[in-house]
Amino acid sequence: MVSEALSFILQLLIFPGFLFIICLAFFSEWVLRKFVARIQNRMGPTYTGSGGILQPFADFIKLLGKEDIVPAFAERTYFTLTPLLCLTLPLTALFILPMTGHRALISFEGDLIFLAFIFTTLTIMVFLGGFLSGSVFSMVGGVRAATQLLGYEIPFLLALFGPAIPASSLSISKISTWQAQNNAWGLWTQPIGFGVLVICLLAELELLPFDIPEAETEIVAGWNVEFTGRRLALVRLGRDVELVLASTILADLYLGGPQQVWIIPPIIIFLAKMFACLLLIGYLKTLFARFRIDQVLSGMWKYVIPAAMIQFIILKLIW
Amino acid sequence: MSGSTIKVIIGPQHPALKEPERFILETEGEYVVDVKVRIGYIHRGIEKAMENRTYLQGLYLSERVCGICSDAHTTCYVQGVEELLGVEPPPRSRFIRVVVAELERIHSHLLWLGIAAHEIGFDTLFMYVWRDREIVMDLLEIVSGNRVHYATNTIGGVRRDLNDEKIHKILKGLKTLEDRAKEYLKMIQKEQTVLKRTVNVGILSKSDAIKYGAVGPTVRASGVKRDVRADDPYAAYDEIPFNVIVEDGCDCLARIMVRSREVLESIHIIREALKRMPGGEIRVRVKPRIPPAEALSRVEAPRGELLYYIRSNGTDKPERCKIRTPTLANIPSLCKMLVGGYIADVPIVLAGIDPCFACMDRVLVIDREKREAKVWTLDMLRRYGREWYRKR
Amino acid sequence: MAFAREALRNIFKKPVTEKYPFERREPAEGFRGRPVWDMKKCIGCGTCVRVCPVKAVEMIGRGREATIKHHLERCIYCGQCAESCPVKAITMTPEYELSDTDKSKMLHVYERK
Repeated sequence: MVSEALSFILQLLIFPGFLFIICLAFFSEWVLRKFVARIQNRMGPTYTGSGGILQPFADFIKLLGKEDIVPAFAERTYFTLTPLLCLTLPLTALFILPMTGHRALISFEGDLIFLAFIFTTLTIMVFLGGFLSGSVFSMVGGVRAATQLLGYEIPFLLALFGPAIPASSLSISKISTWQAQNNAWGLWTQPIGFGVLVICLLAELELLPFDIPEAETEIVAGWNVEFTGRRLALVRLGRDVELVLASTILADLYLGGPQQVWIIPPIIIFLAKMFACLLLIGYLKTLFARFRIDQVLSGMWKYVIPAAMIQFIILKLIW
Repeated sequence: MSGSTIKVIIGPQHPALKEPERFILETEGEYVVDVKVRIGYIHRGIEKAMENRTYLQGLYLSERVCGICSDAHTTCYVQGVEELLGVEPPPRSRFIRVVVAELERIHSHLLWLGIAAHEIGFDTLFMYVWRDREIVMDLLEIVSGNRVHYATNTIGGVRRDLNDEKIHKILKGLKTLEDRAKEYLKMIQKEQTVLKRTVNVGILSKSDAIKYGAVGPTVRASGVKRDVRADDPYAAYDEIPFNVIVEDGCDCLARIMVRSREVLESIHIIREALKRMPGGEIRVRVKPRIPPAEALSRVEAPRGELLYYIRSNGTDKPERCKIRTPTLANIPSLCKMLVGGYIADVPIVLAGIDPCFACMDRVLVIDREKREAKVWTLDMLRRYGREWYRKR
Repeated sequence: MAFAREALRNIFKKPVTEKYPFERREPAEGFRGRPVWDMKKCIGCGTCVRVCPVKAVEMIGRGREATIKHHLERCIYCGQCAESCPVKAITMTPEYELSDTDKSKMLHVYERK
């Protein structure tokens, strides 16, 4: 009993828990930065570590050492809470997603709903944090984040729950296991849903063409304009974890998640799938100009939501 | 309209502006209803400094008015001084001036295209365009010996000649550049997100463009055929056939298209100039002292019409040198474009006129209540500055 | 999606960035770098002092005995001195890494032997 508890704590803290995810987050940021740089014919980070692999970590450490400023007009509670939640919410979400084997660290029936809840909370935290920072730019950024949520939330949820229908379960671990066992990856059985989910994740992660809440040339840094020092460090780390979360969701819900192929352990297969999704996101992020907020809303309601619904209807007809 | 407007202040420091300038936008929701511009943050006193330098030294100062269109400034200055002297530069030098000016136009337009892409968040296009801009920068280095301040023009001609090897390199570079420019032109027209952000954004109708005296690509994007190179040919432009690029879109996309197509037209002009270039001298020697006279010189800089007014008084230094840069001429039309648009579109509309504030800023105090403008002399400024600091 | 092909093609290309401190680029022919005075040719006429737009050249003494002081931190590398020199004693070298944190290193003195 004691050893079981100890093992669980170790799993939670080290592998595949906290430490592993943080390292993975730093590594994914590096992969994304290098990849985008290559697409744009640039070098990307080069100095820290071999090929600049330690650059995200170095950025984090540097930000920790910077002066911590709370603006006079900011609401102190939310200003402190937002960076913390920005990191902890995606971390919590990653605990319920399977990475090393069939079962996630914490798995229960209905954790898919919990995941959806976490995503919405995250955006609301962004809105509150931005709105209560007391700067015009962060206020506009926060409002834009909330407005954008209105556009992408419905298709996002539809695409998230799509894979649950054939697997007839609301547990992410069960869905990915079902897909791996029946060789029925969501990518092949419901390609439209996959596309919709990728688009919505781009919007959720505030990447181009949906980086409206932090549009650099329009509103400086948007909702996180007032964060400095360790708060900004946490926000940025939270963004990296979110990036891992997004690619993990795609890998787990639409690519069958961790599965044993021949003698290759599931974790390797999972990482391969996850980084494939990461590169897809990175590739898409370089291809577009930024939309305007009204264009996002109308585009989402006109094209993306109907697409998600059609996918749902097709699913219902087949299963 | 009274209580419901919010003031959104853009600048003096803002990521969309590369140089400090202040725009106070009155907004209703997401719409801009009124714009107030406050200019003069980077006034450098160049016109006054001109008066303390000889004509030859002033040449290098005029080159430093703008880092991007430095050749246009020297051409304009040199033409003015040559007019004062009554000297005609040799024909070969006039063709070399055209080559450098057009290379500079290509470099400036590509730079602008990258900035415009960055303003709408399209950083990939920005990187690609600036990568290919290196080709033309290298060509300029080959021609003039420097990448930014070319120092090709001198009073009475140009300083460096072109030989066959250089001409060959230019033609080779132009070929690559032409392919790339054509490809970008095609891709921009097809990319939906770019079209979404630029079509019907920052409208400046034809009548408004004429009314507010817009210049350069801004006015040509509104369907007005106005180009100093064609209307009042200088250098060797009267001997080279070329088209004035005009677009009827009146919006930001039209401004992108005008500049992209002008890049192709410039490549054509350079080829023609190299083909028709006569032999002979590249410069004539001139006297340092200039008898009293006044001259007005106009040049089509990459951003539009550039104007120099120079007055001499018999010494080796000018008595007055007035510079009117294209950005200043485009500011009134910029205000017109911004009104009625979205706040989110402000950066791309601002970038649309290719502003260069450092070139523009002069001390011109406008009294809004009395509706009158007056120019401050150096002494007045000095007194004002002393008083201002004492009060603090 | 008009840029999809172009972006894919670039993934496999080498970055265009020059690894500057490790790889130095050769300046083009006729590049205007640091001007150097050849004191064997110099006749001390003071033309370079007169034409310099930024007063970067200083001459101490007059004629054949004069010493030239060149203030690098003021120089704008326009090359007007080299052009105006009646005996072509000034050449523009291709040196371009000229910045320094020590101001005294920015002063180049050319003395007669």
